[in-house]
Amino acid sequence: MTEETIIERKSTRKQQTSCVSLKRVGESLWVSFDPSQPRRLLEDELARLFGRMKHLVFQSRVILDPETAQSDENLIDSLGAFLKETFGVGFVSGPPQKRSVEEELRRRQAVAFSWRHQRSDVLMLTGRVRSGQKVSAKNHFVLMGDLNPGGEVVAGGDVLVMGSMLGTVAAGQPDKEDAIILALDFRPTQIKIGGYVARGIANSPGTVGEFAFVENNSITVANYLKVNPFGRLPWPEVR
Amino acid sequence: MEGRIIVVTSGKGGVGKTTATASIGAALALSDRRVAVIDMDIGLRNLDVVLGLESRVVFNIVDVVKGRCKLRQAAIRDKKIENFFLIPASQSDNKDVLTPEDMMKVGQELRKEFDFVLMDCPAGIERGFENAIAAADEALVVCTPDVSSVRDADRVIGLLLSRSIMPKLLVNRVIPKMVGRGDMLSHQDVVEVLSIDLVGLVEMDDQVVVSTNTGTHLVLQSNSKAGEAFQRIAMRLNGQPDLPIEDPMARKGLWKSISKKLGLRK
Repeated sequence: MTEETIIERKSTRKQQTSCVSLKRVGESLWVSFDPSQPRRLLEDELARLFGRMKHLVFQSRVILDPETAQSDENLIDSLGAFLKETFGVGFVSGPPQKRSVEEELRRRQAVAFSWRHQRSDVLMLTGRVRSGQKVSAKNHFVLMGDLNPGGEVVAGGDVLVMGSMLGTVAAGQPDKEDAIILALDFRPTQIKIGGYVARGIANSPGTVGEFAFVENNSITVANYLKVNPFGRLPWPEVR
Repeated sequence: MEGRIIVVTSGKGGVGKTTATASIGAALALSDRRVAVIDMDIGLRNLDVVLGLESRVVFNIVDVVKGRCKLRQAAIRDKKIENFFLIPASQSDNKDVLTPEDMMKVGQELRKEFDFVLMDCPAGIERGFENAIAAADEALVVCTPDVSSVRDADRVIGLLLSRSIMPKLLVNRVIPKMVGRGDMLSHQDVVEVLSIDLVGLVEMDDQVVVSTNTGTHLVLQSNSKAGEAFQRIAMRLNGQPDLPIEDPMARKGLWKSISKKLGLRK
């Protein structure tokens, strides 16, 4: 055999292997193929790959992925029928519909229970932050107690005060504008969310939890239970 | 038994620390306790004037600390009350001549000599404050029902707590009429924000000005509401902590009671 012939045979095999590939994904066999190739060639290549696996493919689940945006249903059906007849595979389907990025992200988070392994950097304190005292938190800050006038809280994330908030609060520092400031008795001297600053309000219902958030380039204060800003999220998320 | 050193402080100036120190000290001395009041406002002394002893000042607390005189030489006995002494401040030095360590040393001597030592702390939270609280076992925070006074008192309470001194609150210059109209914070509002034990409420009283200017004791005046209140505070400090606190708002006249019963008044 001459050297030229060897090179030619190698290139032919390379061409053949590139039009169909097989990998195991979970319990399924994922077959990627090039739909532009003739059906005969695809069947030969499938036969070569599945033939090697012998009884392992019997009653297995096969996904045929044409690797193009427009999947050819007829081609998938005919190749599926070929595999069922020849190798006795159990179930053949096209690739699953792709989800939007956001949906996929949420699904993954829900599936993985992301909060289980979340390393929390929430600072949670009890007691009273008095005048002249300043508490800084890298991320979220929770105070089970009161923030007195003259007291100051600065947080990288949200600020939650389970009591009276009478001092100065800066949340989402330096530029996290989706941070919120929540208090059961919301009467702060001044609040800051990201780069937005607002004066405190003198009068507060005092008995309902209120929260401040950025809306239309200004800080809005609303009844937390009525607005329920996180109630519509489909899954619990790490904040 | 060792005596107790109580620092009377407020953060804000002009809320009645000196009057409170003089009156509570006098009341404690009247109940047969050996009491010293110390003016810690070095450079701006006025406790001697309030007690009418300015003409008898020879030595002062700086002299005691620097070893220029003995404690007994600096302590001026009151004109009317037997067991009541004043250790005045120096008028010519500044607050930096004393250090907290100096005060802790003098504090030990004072505890042996007296049953109660009341320290009149200067306004502010700088060196003078540090010196005054260094030797203190307890603290009395004087606060008027003003937003600014409450804020300063809150700051001082935080500093005292950080030094493991549990302060008690004295709300001074309460004007029941204004509280009733909603123009002044009530003592409940003040206590809610400061959240420390209340030791007494002192009503606004014109007699305070008279006694301060004449150098007479408020607690010896028969018709002074403030004097009575300071006496009750002294009793609470002197072994009767459960003595009920009289609420000036609850004091109502006959006409008010009748009109309330008739439903004319809430």
